[in-house]
Amino acid sequence: MRVPRNLEVWKMGTVSYLDALKLQEKLVSDRKANKISDTLLSLQHLPTYTLGKRRTDHNLLIPESALKYIGAELHYTQRGGDITFHGPRQAILYPIISLRDIGLGARNYVEKLELTMIRLASLYGVKANAGQKGETGVWVREKKIGAIGVRISSGITSHGLAFNIDPNLEYFKHIVPCGIADKEVTSLRREVDLVLPDDEVIHEQLISCFVRLFGFSNVISKENPPILLDDAKRE
Amino acid sequence: MASRLLASRAASYFKISVPFRSFSSVVKDLKYADSHEWAKVEGNSATIGITDHAQDHLGDVVYVELPEVGVPVKQGASFGAVESVKATSDINSPVSGKVIEVNEELNSSPGLVNGSPYEKGWIIKVEMKDKCELNSLMDSDQYYKFCEEEDSKH
Repeated sequence: MRVPRNLEVWKMGTVSYLDALKLQEKLVSDRKANKISDTLLSLQHLPTYTLGKRRTDHNLLIPESALKYIGAELHYTQRGGDITFHGPRQAILYPIISLRDIGLGARNYVEKLELTMIRLASLYGVKANAGQKGETGVWVREKKIGAIGVRISSGITSHGLAFNIDPNLEYFKHIVPCGIADKEVTSLRREVDLVLPDDEVIHEQLISCFVRLFGFSNVISKENPPILLDDAKRE
Repeated sequence: MASRLLASRAASYFKISVPFRSFSSVVKDLKYADSHEWAKVEGNSATIGITDHAQDHLGDVVYVELPEVGVPVKQGASFGAVESVKATSDINSPVSGKVIEVNEELNSSPGLVNGSPYEKGWIIKVEMKDKCELNSLMDSDQYYKFCEEEDSKH
């Protein structure tokens, strides 16, 4: 008999990258200690470039000092993956879940994240696929529509996926996206003819695809939760 | 059928038990942590790596973050990480002690962790602080059963 699996979904709107990072660290720690259930953060960021653990900053094509002129920040993180860009109109999911509880390894987890975005794209008639070996992510023909970068610590995940609804793709020109040269990026907007619904609707659909793929039976939604949890309120 | 029999005979000769249901191998005489690291004890030191089950579930390892020689490690705590499929996964130490050697080869050949998880893909060597800690680790039979249970969860 399947044990019912709970997921708490936080719909956060636009959040600064650093705030989201700090929140994830806290949630990972709480999840490890079993103080909370599996949690999913759904949000967007202001223009931000991020690097992974390997610090591949040679893939940033403009000097760091010039970032402020294009209104972007840069952050170094512990996630896997190369350099990427996050910005408005890009849907982000950060699942903080226990892979051990569901017996998943990194490879299967990432495949399911890819499938989440592939399923979302298919809702709009867009045929997307997972990358070839070594090219983790979601592609429409040769163009990247969704990126993945994950951290797994004692079996608890953080960071996650980013799906391009209609971000300003010009920002990607300043990086070698995900360290893969000669590959372009695209967005849902570019791949469909029809008018897209509001981002909120698309975020809901993305969450729905995730919930179904990962087999969560009990979903609790939290709208506009406080970004920083007040330690004083905990017992 | 005949080749399976040959494989299992070869496996017992080399002291490797190969479960039929999965492709992951488990080596006898090693100790195992539930976070899928193994420890090979030699006197007061232990060589540490990740298991075949772990490397299979990770995917192709493209990067290994090694600790510095001389740093302390604690049983159950992270001492480094591996990256595969855009995921960095912490590696935890099965024993407490001090790092006395790291496998520098992994800097240029991280794939050794996949190809030879119990031999050439070893990660660090630790001078153990307390050999009693080994009692809380699993032996090969227990670890094999543990993997079976974990894999049946999905």
